[in-house]
Amino acid sequence: MSDGDKELALKAAGGCRVSFAALVERYYDRIYRLAWRFSGAQDLAEDIAQDVCVKLATAIRSFRGEAAFSTWIWRITYTTATDKLRAGQRMHAVEPSKIVELADASPDAGQPSPEDAAMGADLWAAVRGLAPQQRDAVLLVYGEDMSHAEAAAVMGCQEKTVSWHLHEAKKRLRITLQAAG
Amino acid sequence: MSDKELEKLKSLPVPEPSAKAKAAALAAAMTAFDAASENTFETIAETRAEKNPDAPQESADVIRLTHASQTKRRLPMRVRHGIYATAASIAVVALGLGTGMYYTGTLRMEESAAPEPVAGKLSQSPEPVTSEAKPALSQPAPAPSAPAGRASANSGKGKANKFGASRKFEESEADGVADMSPAAQPPAPMGGVVGLKQKAESKRAYRRDNIVAVPDLNGLLAGREAEQSRNDIGIADGSTVERKRIVDDTVTQPPRENRDQFETVKINPVKQVSAEPVSTFSIDVDTASYAFVRRALNAGRMPQKNAVRVEEMINYFPYDYPAPETAKTPFKANVTVTPAPWNPANKLLHIGIKGYEIQSKERPHANLVFLIDVSGSMQGADRLELVKNAFRMLVNELKPDDTVGIVVYAGSSGVALEPTKVAKKSKIIAAIDKLGAGGSTAGAEGINDAYRLAEANFDKEGVNRVILATDGDFNVGITNREELKGFIEHKRKTGIFLSILGVGQGNYNDALMQKLAQNGNGTAAYVDTLNEARKVLVDEASSTLFPIAKDVKIQVEFNPVMVSEYRLIGYETRALKREDFNNDKVDAGDIGSGHTVTAIYEFTPKGAPKLIDDLRYGGRVAAQGEDKSGEGGAAAKPDNGKTAYEYAFLKLRYKLPNEDKSTLVTTPVTKAMERAKISDAPEDVRFSVAVAAFGQLLRGAPYLKDYSYDDVITLAKSARGDDPFGYRAEFLNLVRLAKSARP
Repeated sequence: MSDGDKELALKAAGGCRVSFAALVERYYDRIYRLAWRFSGAQDLAEDIAQDVCVKLATAIRSFRGEAAFSTWIWRITYTTATDKLRAGQRMHAVEPSKIVELADASPDAGQPSPEDAAMGADLWAAVRGLAPQQRDAVLLVYGEDMSHAEAAAVMGCQEKTVSWHLHEAKKRLRITLQAAG
Repeated sequence: MSDKELEKLKSLPVPEPSAKAKAAALAAAMTAFDAASENTFETIAETRAEKNPDAPQESADVIRLTHASQTKRRLPMRVRHGIYATAASIAVVALGLGTGMYYTGTLRMEESAAPEPVAGKLSQSPEPVTSEAKPALSQPAPAPSAPAGRASANSGKGKANKFGASRKFEESEADGVADMSPAAQPPAPMGGVVGLKQKAESKRAYRRDNIVAVPDLNGLLAGREAEQSRNDIGIADGSTVERKRIVDDTVTQPPRENRDQFETVKINPVKQVSAEPVSTFSIDVDTASYAFVRRALNAGRMPQKNAVRVEEMINYFPYDYPAPETAKTPFKANVTVTPAPWNPANKLLHIGIKGYEIQSKERPHANLVFLIDVSGSMQGADRLELVKNAFRMLVNELKPDDTVGIVVYAGSSGVALEPTKVAKKSKIIAAIDKLGAGGSTAGAEGINDAYRLAEANFDKEGVNRVILATDGDFNVGITNREELKGFIEHKRKTGIFLSILGVGQGNYNDALMQKLAQNGNGTAAYVDTLNEARKVLVDEASSTLFPIAKDVKIQVEFNPVMVSEYRLIGYETRALKREDFNNDKVDAGDIGSGHTVTAIYEFTPKGAPKLIDDLRYGGRVAAQGEDKSGEGGAAAKPDNGKTAYEYAFLKLRYKLPNEDKSTLVTTPVTKAMERAKISDAPEDVRFSVAVAAFGQLLRGAPYLKDYSYDDVITLAKSARGDDPFGYRAEFLNLVRLAKSARP
C-alpha cells in the first residue's frame, strides 16, 4: 500500500474530514471485496462494508501509523465480517417456533443470489464450508494474496497457526471437492 | 488441493457493489466521523479510554503488543468505556447501600493500574496519580491488606470509606475540568466532565437507575452518589453511531444470535403417592437460569423454555430463613405447608434450608485459580471486561493470605499469574488488567493448567477452587465432554472444586457448564451485568466459595394416608434415585456459607380432586389403606398413630466439607406446620412461591390452571420485604416484561 494511505490516515486520525472521506472512498471497494469473499452474498457484503466504514470513523482516531494502514483496515474488516457471519449462522439455528421473529426481523443474512452463486461457486462454497479459521486463512492468503505473517496479523494469531490452518484446509478441500466429483 | 488451484480464488470474479450501497456506506461513515469530531467529549473520552488506566480495558501496553489486535480491541472501546462508566455507577450505588467495599474496589483499580508502564505520553507522570489515589484509599480504609469486604459488616468503617470515596470524586472532577491534557488524567469516573445526555434510555440503564432509587441507607451521601451515577449513565448514553450499532447487535437483537445451548428437560410429572411415595433429589444452589431469563426478558423476548429452571430462579433470591446457630449443624430446614395459590384444593410443601454463616475470622484460607476464557468472542463490555471487573471485586473480598492464580485460555493456554498472595493485591489486579481477548478457545488445556496451579498450592484445610469464566463452549482441544467431565470429577475428589461464571449471550453452552459445575462440586452462575457479578462473587463470595456441607440430598416420603399425589417443582436436572439417598458415593450439591436453598412440592391431600385415576386392579392394598383413613387426612383418627397427622417425612443427608460419611437429619412434616392461607405464610415463603409460579409460567405450566402473570405480581408484591438490593423489585419488573414479551 502506498504511503499516501498512511498519511491520509494520520490526518484523518487528527480529525481531517477530507482525508477521511478520501480514505473511505479509496478503500470501499476493497473492503467490499474482502467482505464478499467471506460472505459470498452481495447484500451481506454491502452490509459488512458499511459497518466497517462506520467503525472506521471512530477507530481512525486511534490510528497511530504503527502498522501498515492496509493491515489495520483488513483487521477491522475481518473482525466485522466474522462477527456478521457468526450472527448469520445463529439465525439459521433458530427453532421453528421462532420463525415469526425471523419474519419480523430485517432480511439481512441473506442466501447467496443466483448471480453470486454463478461466480466460481464450487470452490467458494467449499472454502466457505471450512471451519471458520481455516476458511479465514485461505481467504486471506489465497483470496487476498497476503503473506502468512500478514494473515496472522489480521486474524490475531501466530504465523505458524495460519500455516497450520492452511494445511488442514487443503486437506479438507481435497476431500470435499473430490467427493463432489 | 494444490496451491495453484487455490490461487484461482484470487482471480475469481467478485460481483460489483451497488453504487447505492456504496454511497450509503460512505455517507454513514461521514456521519459517524462528524459525530465523533463534533463531540469534544468523545475525543477526550477516547483519549482517556486509551490512556486512562482506570478504564478496565486492557492496559495500554497490552494494546500495543501487536498492531493487529490493537484495532480489534480498540473498536469496541467506546462501548466498553460507556458501559464501564455505568459499571462504575453501580459501584457507587452499591456504596450508598452501606457496603463500603465496592468503592474500595474501584479505588483499588485506580491505584494499582496507574503505576503501570503505560506506553507513550502517559508514562511521563504516573506518580501524581498514584500519590493522589493513595491518600484517598489509605486514609479511610485501614490498610490495603485488610479486605474491605469485611468492613461491610461495620457501617462505621463503610462510611469512612465512602467519605474517602467521595472526596476522591471531587478531586478527580476538579482535575478533569482544569486539566484537559490527555496525559495522566486521573482515572476518575469523570462525572463532572460529562453532562452529555443524562438520560437513561436503554433498559439496562433503566434497570440500574432503578437500583439507584432503592431506599438509601445513607441519606448523607446518597444524593451526591446518585447524581454521580446518573452522570456516569450519561456517559454510557453519550453514544455514537458505532456504539449504538454494537449495542443494538448485542443487546436488543438477540433473536438472531441465539445459539445458546440448553439441555431439554421434561417438567417433573405428578406422581401418585401409592405408586411412588418417595421423592429424592440433590439440592441445587445454581442461579444461572434466572440471569438468563432476565436477559431475555429485558431484551423483550421470552426465554427459551429449556433455559428456565424453576429451582434456580427460586434460589436466586436471598431468603431470610432462620439459620442454625453453629457450624456443627451446618443448616436448618424450615418447613411450611400452605394452600397452592393456583389451586386452593392443593397444598404446597415449602422447604427452606438456610446454611450456617461462617464468620469471616473462621473462614478458611482460599486457594483460588481464575481460569479465564480470552478467546476472540470474549471481547466486549458484557464479557471479558465484565469478568475482569468481577474478579477485581472478588480479589478485594479476599483475605491477605488467600492466594490467587490466573490461567487464560484461547488458542493456547497460559499462566497469566502464578499463585500470588492477596497481600500483593496490586500485582494480581495488574495481571487482571492486562488480560485481552483474541484467539479461539481450547478449554481443556486451560483447565489442566488451572488445576495444576491449584494443586501446586493445595491447602488441605482451605478452600481450593478453580473459577472458570467463559462465554461458551470449549471450541478446540478435548472435545470429548465425557472425558472433560471425568477429569473434573476426578479433581473434585482430590479436593479441588470448580465454579463457573458464564457471560455473554449467543454462544453460551449452558448444558455443558451445568454439567461441569455439577461434576466439580461447584456452582454455575450466569452473569450479565456488573451488579450480577457483584451478587455472585462478592455478596455471595463466602457462600459460593466456602462450602459448609457437601453432597446434600433431600428425600421426602409422603404419607399415603394424608396425601394422594405430589409433584416436585423444578429440580428436574437434580433428580436422584431412591437408593442414591443413602449411598455416600453418589455425588450431590453443596451448600455454601449462608446459602439458602428452597424446594417446593405441590401435593394433593387425600379427598381433593386428583389428576391420576386410581387403578381398577392391583390397587387393592393402597385402597384398603384409604378405606381405613376415611375421607381426607383431616378425618384420620388418632388411633392410626401419630404419623397419621404427618403429611410427609423429610430427610436430609449431608457431609461436612472434609468428611466422606454423611449425616442424616429428619423432620416430620406435620399439620402444625400448616398455614390456613397463603397470606399467613412468611414473606419469604410467599415470595419464593411467586417465583416458582413465574418460572412455571415461563416454562408453559400444565399445572397452574388460570394462574397468570398478574397473580404472580400480586403475590410477589405482597412479599417484597426489605429487599435492600432491589432484587425483588427487579423480579416484579421482569414479570411485567414477560406479559408483553415476544414468544
